Amino acid sequence: MRIQKRKKNRFVYGLGICVLLILTWTGVSRAAEEPIQLKLAGSTIKISTFYNGTTLDVTGSVHKDADVVLLVSGPKKDVHLKVKGKVAGILWMNKTDVSLENIPAVYMVYTPAGTGDNLLRPELGIGYKALTGGIAIRPESTDKEFVFAEYVKLMEQSGVYAVHRDAIKYGETSNDQTNFTATLIIPSKMSAGSYRVEAVAIQNGKVLGRTGKELSLELAGLPKTIADLAFGSPLLFGIMAVFIAIATGLIIGVLFKGGGGSH
Amino acid sequence: MIHMYLPIAGNSVNIFLILGLGGFVGLLSGVFGVGGGFLMTPLLMMFGIPPTVAAASDSNQIVGASTSGTLAHMRLGNVDIPMGVMLLIGGVAGGTVGVQVIKLLKAMGNADFLIAITYVIMLGGVGGYMFWESLQGLKKEKIAPVVTAKARPKVQEKKKSFLQRLPFQYNFPKSGCKISLLLPLGFGVLVGILAAIMGVGGGFIMVPVMVYLLRMPMHVVVGTSLFQILFTCINVTVMQSYSNHTVDFVLAVLLLLGSTIGAQIGTAVSKRLKADQLKIMLASLVLLVCVKMMAGLLMTPSIMVALKGGH
Repeated sequence: MRIQKRKKNRFVYGLGICVLLILTWTGVSRAAEEPIQLKLAGSTIKISTFYNGTTLDVTGSVHKDADVVLLVSGPKKDVHLKVKGKVAGILWMNKTDVSLENIPAVYMVYTPAGTGDNLLRPELGIGYKALTGGIAIRPESTDKEFVFAEYVKLMEQSGVYAVHRDAIKYGETSNDQTNFTATLIIPSKMSAGSYRVEAVAIQNGKVLGRTGKELSLELAGLPKTIADLAFGSPLLFGIMAVFIAIATGLIIGVLFKGGGGSH
Repeated sequence: MIHMYLPIAGNSVNIFLILGLGGFVGLLSGVFGVGGGFLMTPLLMMFGIPPTVAAASDSNQIVGASTSGTLAHMRLGNVDIPMGVMLLIGGVAGGTVGVQVIKLLKAMGNADFLIAITYVIMLGGVGGYMFWESLQGLKKEKIAPVVTAKARPKVQEKKKSFLQRLPFQYNFPKSGCKISLLLPLGFGVLVGILAAIMGVGGGFIMVPVMVYLLRMPMHVVVGTSLFQILFTCINVTVMQSYSNHTVDFVLAVLLLLGSTIGAQIGTAVSKRLKADQLKIMLASLVLLVCVKMMAGLLMTPSIMVALKGGH
């Protein structure tokens, strides 16, 4: 009886190990077959008192015959703009009201070295032109492409819209997968919120696969305390701001009198 | 370079740049008795601060600078409190009317055009007149100071006959005049309306009004203007914070540290300058802003859209 039981146990263990090995092997091969993988150095960026934008390292791997493009985009919102126009034939001024609806607050594209603008194609869902489809304009009669192109120029000034060419570096290739690295630039104008970093694999002009990771920017320390107070108790915040201003004015005034410099 | 993050503006700024900017505007405030909003807001916008946050945080900063400036001028006996109070009451009433005017103009769809034109005409007119007048003053002083001294009372005598007919005559000893209370009240309303339309504190209109229309001595004008600006900006700061959440406290404190010190130095500088020298400098500054605005209106912009909310 005992010998039979031992044999049975051995058989069960053996079967278990076999199943485990098969599962591990398929897992490994699946990973090798994945067209693209992405890893962020961190998923949260803290915005504290002396924050002035930062950088974020990104690593991953892509099928050896494919290229990779990184996209950083973030919360969609409605923006209200003034379009400049000529008044009385000579004066340029903010003339008409226009709203762009459902437009991302942040849109940054990173392309690999040597690809130029080849990968910035709307049919791949990459580049500024790819965004226009999802955006609505009010009033509808306005020239959407023109307003959008000008808005992009405005956003490029603060770095929240950007195309970083030659910004992805390829490394070694193993198991048909090529490693890549990039350093994402997080401008200080990119406000607290949830963003998505997406890696897109492209082969022969087609999207082979895509994967993404969440990136969150959070206020911390003094900026958080101030923002909470300003939005949570705005009246108290306003009165406090006035009192501190008056106190500073008085202190500096008294200090100058103490110094006896002014009269 | 050390940067600080501005939680409400949603951007970071170089600490020394903002301190310097505050110091420069505070200096102007102490010398001329203007809040400096008409300079500060466009400058802050250049450094990536949204227009609404720039304007609201600047008014918070002006509270500090004008407290410091008013205190310094009070010590020198340059603040005419009754006059300031009358101008203030008029200014608040005028501001309320001005806000309604803006609403009406916006509904009619030509508010921006009117605001820009009002700005340029006011800056050009006020600056041009002050410049010309003080230049004449400086010339006369050099050639024949005796003539100037005799000519001025004549002008005042002519005015007196009209002004004395108005009711509620009141003696303003600091300003050295006896005029009707209705006069500063009325001018206050006028400046309040203009200030609300243009979205500024109105110091650079109030100062010429006191100098040329109320005939107050230049040094008392500066002190009284600061006193009036202090209360206007307290109101604006609290209202902006309460209804629009646009007061960036970090930005305001940085500007404050610079401007309160600047205001003290400015007051000391103003004491050493003659009234006509003060006037001609303020006039040049106002004209410079006017030329810059005109250039902005005439040159084709590089970007054809702007975020809504500026003025």
